[in-house]
Amino acid sequence: MFKLKMLILLSLLFTNYAVAGEPYVDKALLNEIGDKYGVFAKKRFFFLQETFDSVKNKGDLEKLEAVNNFFNEVRYSSDMKLYGKSDYWATPWEFLGNDKGDCEDYVISKYFALRHLEVDYKKLFFTYVRSTNFKEPHMVLTYFETPKSEPLILDNNNRKIFPASQRKDLTPIYNFNGDMLDEADKNNEKSHKKWDELKLNMQRKKI
Amino acid sequence: MTLFKQIALMLSLFLLIILATVLILNFQNANKGVQDRLYEDAKNTATSLSLSLGTANGDLSMMSTMINANFDSGNYHHITLVDVEKKNLYDRVTESDIIAVPKWFMSLIELKAPIAHANVSAGWSQVGILSVQSDTTYAYKQLYAILIDLLISFTIIALIGLAALNLLLHAVLKPLKEVQKQAAAITRNEFIIQNKIPYTKELADVVLGMNNMVSKVKAMFDKGNEELKAHKELEYVDQDTQLRNRKYLIDRLPAYLKADASYEGGVNMLISLSGIIEANEKLGRQNVNKLFLKIADVLRDSTKNIKDSIVARINGTEFSLLLPNCSDSQAIELAKKIQQSCQEIINLAELDSKETFASIGLYEYKHSDNIAKLLSRSDNALTQAKFNHGNIHLEKAESAVEVMGKEAWKLLINKAIEKDRFSFVSWSVIDTKSKKLSHNVLSINLTLDKNSSYSYAQFMAPAIQSGLSSGIYKKIVDMLFRNSSMVLSVSTYALRLPHEYLENQETYKNLSELLRANAAMLPFKVIIELPDRLVRQDSKLIREYIELFRKYNISIGIFEFIGESDDYKYLQDLRPVYIKGESSYFLTQSDQSLSALRLITDTLGIALIAVGVADIETLEKLKNRDIHIIQGKVTEMLEI
Repeated sequence: MFKLKMLILLSLLFTNYAVAGEPYVDKALLNEIGDKYGVFAKKRFFFLQETFDSVKNKGDLEKLEAVNNFFNEVRYSSDMKLYGKSDYWATPWEFLGNDKGDCEDYVISKYFALRHLEVDYKKLFFTYVRSTNFKEPHMVLTYFETPKSEPLILDNNNRKIFPASQRKDLTPIYNFNGDMLDEADKNNEKSHKKWDELKLNMQRKKI
Repeated sequence: MTLFKQIALMLSLFLLIILATVLILNFQNANKGVQDRLYEDAKNTATSLSLSLGTANGDLSMMSTMINANFDSGNYHHITLVDVEKKNLYDRVTESDIIAVPKWFMSLIELKAPIAHANVSAGWSQVGILSVQSDTTYAYKQLYAILIDLLISFTIIALIGLAALNLLLHAVLKPLKEVQKQAAAITRNEFIIQNKIPYTKELADVVLGMNNMVSKVKAMFDKGNEELKAHKELEYVDQDTQLRNRKYLIDRLPAYLKADASYEGGVNMLISLSGIIEANEKLGRQNVNKLFLKIADVLRDSTKNIKDSIVARINGTEFSLLLPNCSDSQAIELAKKIQQSCQEIINLAELDSKETFASIGLYEYKHSDNIAKLLSRSDNALTQAKFNHGNIHLEKAESAVEVMGKEAWKLLINKAIEKDRFSFVSWSVIDTKSKKLSHNVLSINLTLDKNSSYSYAQFMAPAIQSGLSSGIYKKIVDMLFRNSSMVLSVSTYALRLPHEYLENQETYKNLSELLRANAAMLPFKVIIELPDRLVRQDSKLIREYIELFRKYNISIGIFEFIGESDDYKYLQDLRPVYIKGESSYFLTQSDQSLSALRLITDTLGIALIAVGVADIETLEKLKNRDIHIIQGKVTEMLEI
């Protein structure tokens, strides 16, 4: 079974596939990721692109489902272990390249993936929550169909998407959407320290 | 502009530009820091307030209270809360009332406080976006204080920097100053050798070059000095008796026979020794020479107490004694003593006193006589004496018909001094080579009223005799400096100051005060002429005068020069602009003597001026002797 999977993966690796529109990760960056993290990392990005391609013409909920499922496959690891820092917001390339990350990294990767899939960013929020199960600070991605509707929670601990009312284990603390804040004052380059750092790393295509 | 000033200006400018740039950069940094701080404060408030607002569960009144509490406690320009559809829920805005900083500062510095935003939620629901902007009032105050601090610090740094720069430049350019001093001294014809050779190669080369040049010029001067001294011996001294000779007497006589001569007159005594041929046959030439030496000693001794007297051997057997200020009776008594002493010497030589004897002719001269008259009348007296019984004859001067008596003159002159009745007249001194006016010589007239006016030659002699000449000069010097408008044209004017006036005790003090108060404002250039007889003495008084004139940039000229000094170094110290001598002096000098004088004056940049040039013939003769600047009647005939 394993051998079959490998065969399929390798065949995918050397297959020219065409995706309508801009690929999530361009070829040059993909090569760099391959050089840094290895061939399997590169394959993960192929699979990601495949996932995108599979839902690109579907509704928000399908896209949420696909993206949530894809990224929830990545293993959890603390920033201290991974980057030697107590708190670090990794770019989607670092997250998938390492195939590890903490709760913010899941949220970031899901957020940018959904934006790529043309889900309205104004519906997506980085939400600081308190997990009553783990009794520790946590972050989830929330999706608001309308500004006043009940949000859907995309969490890496509970892998399924639930409406907020069904997530009694989470206490919401603070919602945050960097793009919205940026949009509020276009002259200002700064809006949120962590978000600003992340934006910079994204521009530099940090892997 | 001096090199020091140029470098100082350049470096100062450079320093100030650097300091200004650093100041501007510092201020810009401070400005940016303040603006960042404004944003950070706003951002912190936005985040913390948005978290607080989340606890209000969407209750607008609660959220407004929270916003008010924050707004009132801090420095904010506005805090605004909009809902998810960007509809205004609540806002607070303040109007800045900046009075702590000047308006120009506010218009110069555009300070924008960035707006910080934060999402506000209530539980899982979105409430909206909170915007916070800090108030710039405090930032302006802070920036203004920073600017003032920066300006003070940079002014202090600039002052310290400029002072340090000044000291540094002085130290670095010190050798150049020395070089400049030496160059300036050369321009002033001073012979300064710089022993301290600068370390900088270029400057060292310049100093060595100048030292070399100065040494050569000094050597030329010394050579001229030595030659002139040697010629003076030949020109003016009788080689047998070491008395002065006829030429000396002729050259010196103009100083005794002039309107403003120091003495009204005196007696010229001619002593002739008869029977010298016989004496030579009897005693031999050497012994007769010894006899003349003894007679010369007698003559020297006899006149040593008579001030300004001249003893000269005018030919092989005749001597002349010019005795200024000597009365006829004193002169006759002196003549008898001299005759007696000569007789004793003749007797001692065992010569026949009937064959060998001294005849003495005396002529009582007046300062108004001319040289020819004095000599011919003296000769007459001697001829008479030779046939007289006692071999002494006195020829008195004609008693001139005096227009005014001594007392009348005294009264008139005193009145003129008191009432300011003197006026200046000027005579041109012309450089015939360049055909230009060299300068004007000032003289004075005494004008009592429309009908009564007296020239210098008329009133000066009685003034000297009455002891009023110093008073007159005090008056006219005062007029020259205080009332300079009397001399109309802007030119160079020379004023001759006589011996008597300069030696007067009060003169130096008066002149010092006059120059201090007026010298800087004179509309013309002044040359003060001093008598050679006085300046070559190198007295303390003369040094003080020279120092005084130099201090006020007044040039010095020398008059009555006949080159009788033992050393001409005084010319080097004095550095007059010109030397004036009688035209007869220049014409009778030997070529060697004149050339030696030229060597001295050329190395020192001194012009030679002939005075008393009366006709074109004399002028041409002077030109042939390379004397081109002239003073005298002939200048009226010249066109310039």
